[in-house]
Amino acid sequence: MSQLTRFLERNLQNPSLRLSAIQIRHLSSQAEEEKSFDDEEFRVLNLRPTQVQRQQRRVYKKDEPQPPRTKVMPVDQDWPNVWPGPRTFHPASVPLPLRQGFTEKNAPPPSKYGNAELMKIPNFLHLTPPAINRQCEALKKFCTPWPKNLETAEKWEKHFPVEIVKSDYCHALPSVRQPEARKVSLKIKLSNLKFDKHSKDKFLRLVGDRYNHENDVLTIQTDRCPTKKQNYDYAQYLLTACYYESFEVEDWEATKSLADMEVYEFEHNKSKISTEAILNWGSSGDKKKVDPGFAKSVETLINEGENEYNLKKYKEESKKLLGLK
Amino acid sequence: MFMLRNTLSSKGSAFVNHFKNAAKYSTETVSALKTTSTPAPQEQDKLFSHLEVELKGVDPAVLKSYSWFATKAANHLGIEVGECYAPRKAKHDRMTLLKSVHIYKKHRVQYEIRTYFRYMNFHKMTGSTLDTYLEYIERNLPEGVALKATSTELQALPEHLKDIPSVE
Amino acid sequence: MLRKLLSTPTLTTINQRCIATTAVNLKVQSGRYRITPKKDKPLTYEMANPPHFIAHRKSWNSWNTSTIDGGLRPSETAIEDIFIRRFMIGTWHSLLGAEVIIKRQHNMVRVALIIRQAISPRKVYFLIGYCEELLSYWLQCPVKLEIQTIGDRKDVVFKYI
Repeated sequence: MSQLTRFLERNLQNPSLRLSAIQIRHLSSQAEEEKSFDDEEFRVLNLRPTQVQRQQRRVYKKDEPQPPRTKVMPVDQDWPNVWPGPRTFHPASVPLPLRQGFTEKNAPPPSKYGNAELMKIPNFLHLTPPAINRQCEALKKFCTPWPKNLETAEKWEKHFPVEIVKSDYCHALPSVRQPEARKVSLKIKLSNLKFDKHSKDKFLRLVGDRYNHENDVLTIQTDRCPTKKQNYDYAQYLLTACYYESFEVEDWEATKSLADMEVYEFEHNKSKISTEAILNWGSSGDKKKVDPGFAKSVETLINEGENEYNLKKYKEESKKLLGLK
Repeated sequence: MFMLRNTLSSKGSAFVNHFKNAAKYSTETVSALKTTSTPAPQEQDKLFSHLEVELKGVDPAVLKSYSWFATKAANHLGIEVGECYAPRKAKHDRMTLLKSVHIYKKHRVQYEIRTYFRYMNFHKMTGSTLDTYLEYIERNLPEGVALKATSTELQALPEHLKDIPSVE
Repeated sequence: MLRKLLSTPTLTTINQRCIATTAVNLKVQSGRYRITPKKDKPLTYEMANPPHFIAHRKSWNSWNTSTIDGGLRPSETAIEDIFIRRFMIGTWHSLLGAEVIIKRQHNMVRVALIIRQAISPRKVYFLIGYCEELLSYWLQCPVKLEIQTIGDRKDVVFKYI
């Protein structure tokens, strides 16, 4: 029945099909016919698709971003817990009204939100004074005090005369190697080593310009081995080798004649013999010794050259030697 | 002890000629070094008279903040802080280039890299204090800053250098 | 030089001829932006200040110890920095609000970004992990991403020209 009514409705709406309304009576056969008719119906060209329901596009629902964390921070919070380690600046975590940037015409600098300048500069927000206090308190148990009785340089030089200078480097690279770190220098004051006259002379010749005459310090710097440990051992070895070698006396050293002497020495020269001869003129028995002052004055006169002071000194010493007034 | 041939550099080459019996010492030295390096029953703490920290960086303000932190930490740990200073002028590394792509040789521009330095000195630290402190400040080194720590260690005179060697 | 003199002047000189070039700064163009007629071109603070204001009005985008006096492996660091920048620009495509900032501390690389809130947080978390994992594998050192987000592109605009 419902089919029939629908059919009627359509026919009434559509005047071109009014003919078929006459056949209403043949109800039983009508249903079949209607169906076939329905299939053959022309598709309607709908120029204004007003009635077509538009499919709802799924709207991407954005989550509301959380408000900055600074708004819920209590005033008396523990800041080192908020910012425990080095980190790039984040405006939502730092409750400070920061601004950064250069602007012209008295305009305010850009605020901290979306400000790349604040993110660039390394910050020290994790090294606030309370944080340093706390960390140093924790570190104190690993520190040991400086021993007593070693307060001044004179005191520690007496017990620890050798100084070893080493360098460590820290830089931002994936590798920890730094070729400069291999250098080791050893310093020692020569007064701490025991020498006799020959060995001291030989030692100074061996070390050359590594010895500083002004402050009596020998500096051995080693950088030929690839690691610090090897260079340290090598410096120790050099010091030992030079020290022991300086006590060696070679055979040819005995053949050194007066002409080979670098400096004039009163003891080994003719002037000592002649002075003693003058002093002990005609006397027998105990020999008179030459006054060391006179010897010194002769040595300085010849080694340093003749100048007014040295000549005057020599004159005085000679008069004293001969007992002249 | 593998460098017996060239024990000293060219300045000491005159010495090398006479240095024939160096091999004799090498054994002595090795034994002497071994005695010093063998661990004592209780390991002695090292002594450092002086520690110099050199900082290099591009931004002087960062160096200043960092040295403030380092000296503050040193004061907390009871380390004697010496003078801390920064040279007034930075080191300038310049590169001069043509301003234009082609010709105009008289028109040049310069790139420049400035490196700022800062120095800190600390005195009288034991080995454990030095290690602790240095590790602490190195861990907190900000980005773009290079650190060089030069330490002066104090050592006793080795046993074999204490007395005049007996010449055989 | 000798070879040049001895050789026949026709073919070989053409083969050996080359243009002598010097490195160029391109100071007039690099890092500078032209004014548009409508004055509606957005510039960030970074873009608004040309390169000669580095260390005066703006600071560096790369922080490392290779560039300072006596620094080791400067070329490797520069190449790695360029690689990181390109990787970031591709990975966070059309999301970056400002230049990528690369900070090197000890053996660690920290990359700071400003991104737009245009994708879901889940995707952001994925991309962070993705970047950190891949970059640490390639650079053989720990890489950390530190991200700040902005709601809109206009938040980073400093001025319009």
